Amino acid sequence: MAQEAHGAIYDLLAVRGVSRRDFLKYCSYVAAMLGLSEAAAPAIAAAVEKGSKLKPALWLNGGSCTGCTESMAQVDSPDVATIVLELLSLNYFETVMAAAGEHAEKNIKDTIAAGGYLLIYEGSVMTGEDGNTLLVNGHKGTDILKEAAESADAIIAVGACAVDGGWVAAHPNPAEATGVQAFLDVEGVKTPVVNIPCCPMNPEWVVAMVVQWLLVAEDDPATFLAKTELLGKTYADRLTGRDVTLLYPKYVVGSTIHDNCPRRGHFENGDFVTEFGSEEEAMGYCLYKMGCKGPQTFTQCPITRWNRSVSWCVQSGAPCIGCGAISWVDNNTPFFKRLSSMQMGDGLGYVQPGSVAAVVGGVAAAALVAHGLGMKAAGRIGPDGPPTETAKKHDRKRQAKGGDK
Amino acid sequence: MAGHAHYREAHPLVFVITHWINLICMIMLAFSGFYIHYPFFGGFMGVARGMHFVAMYVIIINLTFRIIAAFFVKTATDLGSRQVDTDIKNWLPQEKNKHQFFETVKYYLFMRKEAVISAKYGSLQKIAYLATIPLTYLMAYTGFAIYGPTMTWGLFSGGVEMVGGPMNMRIIHYFMMWVFIVFTMIHAYLANIYNFKPSKIIFAWKESE
Repeated sequence: MAQEAHGAIYDLLAVRGVSRRDFLKYCSYVAAMLGLSEAAAPAIAAAVEKGSKLKPALWLNGGSCTGCTESMAQVDSPDVATIVLELLSLNYFETVMAAAGEHAEKNIKDTIAAGGYLLIYEGSVMTGEDGNTLLVNGHKGTDILKEAAESADAIIAVGACAVDGGWVAAHPNPAEATGVQAFLDVEGVKTPVVNIPCCPMNPEWVVAMVVQWLLVAEDDPATFLAKTELLGKTYADRLTGRDVTLLYPKYVVGSTIHDNCPRRGHFENGDFVTEFGSEEEAMGYCLYKMGCKGPQTFTQCPITRWNRSVSWCVQSGAPCIGCGAISWVDNNTPFFKRLSSMQMGDGLGYVQPGSVAAVVGGVAAAALVAHGLGMKAAGRIGPDGPPTETAKKHDRKRQAKGGDK
Repeated sequence: MAGHAHYREAHPLVFVITHWINLICMIMLAFSGFYIHYPFFGGFMGVARGMHFVAMYVIIINLTFRIIAAFFVKTATDLGSRQVDTDIKNWLPQEKNKHQFFETVKYYLFMRKEAVISAKYGSLQKIAYLATIPLTYLMAYTGFAIYGPTMTWGLFSGGVEMVGGPMNMRIIHYFMMWVFIVFTMIHAYLANIYNFKPSKIIFAWKESE
């Protein structure tokens, strides 16, 4: 199969020690992620090859830890995903590009001026101090993003920070960080944004979206949106105070981690790890009691996995910390507790819902006991109970005033 | 208020049964809910979840049936009376409850000596009983909003988005359980504080003078 996919890409793959067979295997893997049959692999291979010549892209870093770049880079040996992304002709990629200084600046300027590129944005949008919390060569990060976003065909917001501010936007958010979509909504930039969640994001999901663009978009954002299965999720952005609708690839956020978890059987059986280092942990039991947030986190982690499908958090023995959720740090801490703690107000600290409930239940029980003692002391308890009034107080008062007139 | 007789007319057999169903389901729901919240012993999660879902369907059907039945079944109009009228009339606020809310509160806070005139149910009682209806349906809603097969339905995912995510919905669901627990504590206390005649009639359907 795939006789139509040939040419420059195979030379490049050969240089990196990747066989044509590996490449096509990878293409069928991407096809599966996009919900296509394996028969789509040649088309994907062709699209990748075509894309390598045609689609310029920029990779911008905002308020990020570069963890997403690390996740993307995972190159202990030549990796097909990396090569596919290199073929995107990434004209600007701070962490890994060879260019520096003015030359790098020129690359970004030229790409923006030419238009028709994909913008991949990693990290939060830091708007604090009028945008001065993030400066690149004297330019505000917010200005760079706005300028690059306006001329882009589409934006792929990679990682939790780019989605909604991520951990950078966690309380108290001193950098006034937010996500790409929330920022662009305020700036009135209409370029479509596709969000890839998690901290860091999964490189395969990014590759799948890039391939999706090369496959269906025909360089038109509207066609891309119409032909891609996306899922909109609305949240109230705390920084901008607006309702923001995020577009996610449906294959990434369609079901919970819990529903696809390889430890789900242990969950249903009631086999739980109660402490780390225990026998139960060694047996690979469910991490629910260790605060696993899998039941309320909607990502495809157990299926795609990380590092070329070698493993992922729960498989390696850690409970899910819910990094694919919106406001994930504030919503999911403490990581090792079942429910998140609630903030009682600035500087007042945090409290677990269970503690609040125990206090409420305890106070109610104590109040009832006290009341019962009061009832006894008041002589109300007995076979007959207290006497009942002969007329309502309201009526007695009215009668005293002279009744109805 | 306390010394009156308890006749079967106050709680016809059908409502004795619905009350039993409510009690059993509530115990099952609270127990399995606590277990799902934090599995305090092993080997029970599948059963706990099954119990939780079944009990919830039963209690919702039971509640809906109870509401419909209120329009057809006749119950006693007053404490210690055999005179009956359509149940819904005795359930909703009546003439006898008028102007009695603050007096009832005062009575329970020991700010007045005599018990207040009431219909079959007092003002506070009616407010509490009526509140359990929307609360139970809301409880089911918050449950479905964090239940795998239904959480992605528009009806529920909209609510999840509104409260800021599934974790917050979980916390609301958890706190609402405590509302029911506190309700049940107060309910059981107030019903039986004078004597256990009310329990005899509602559980065993045994009359007492």
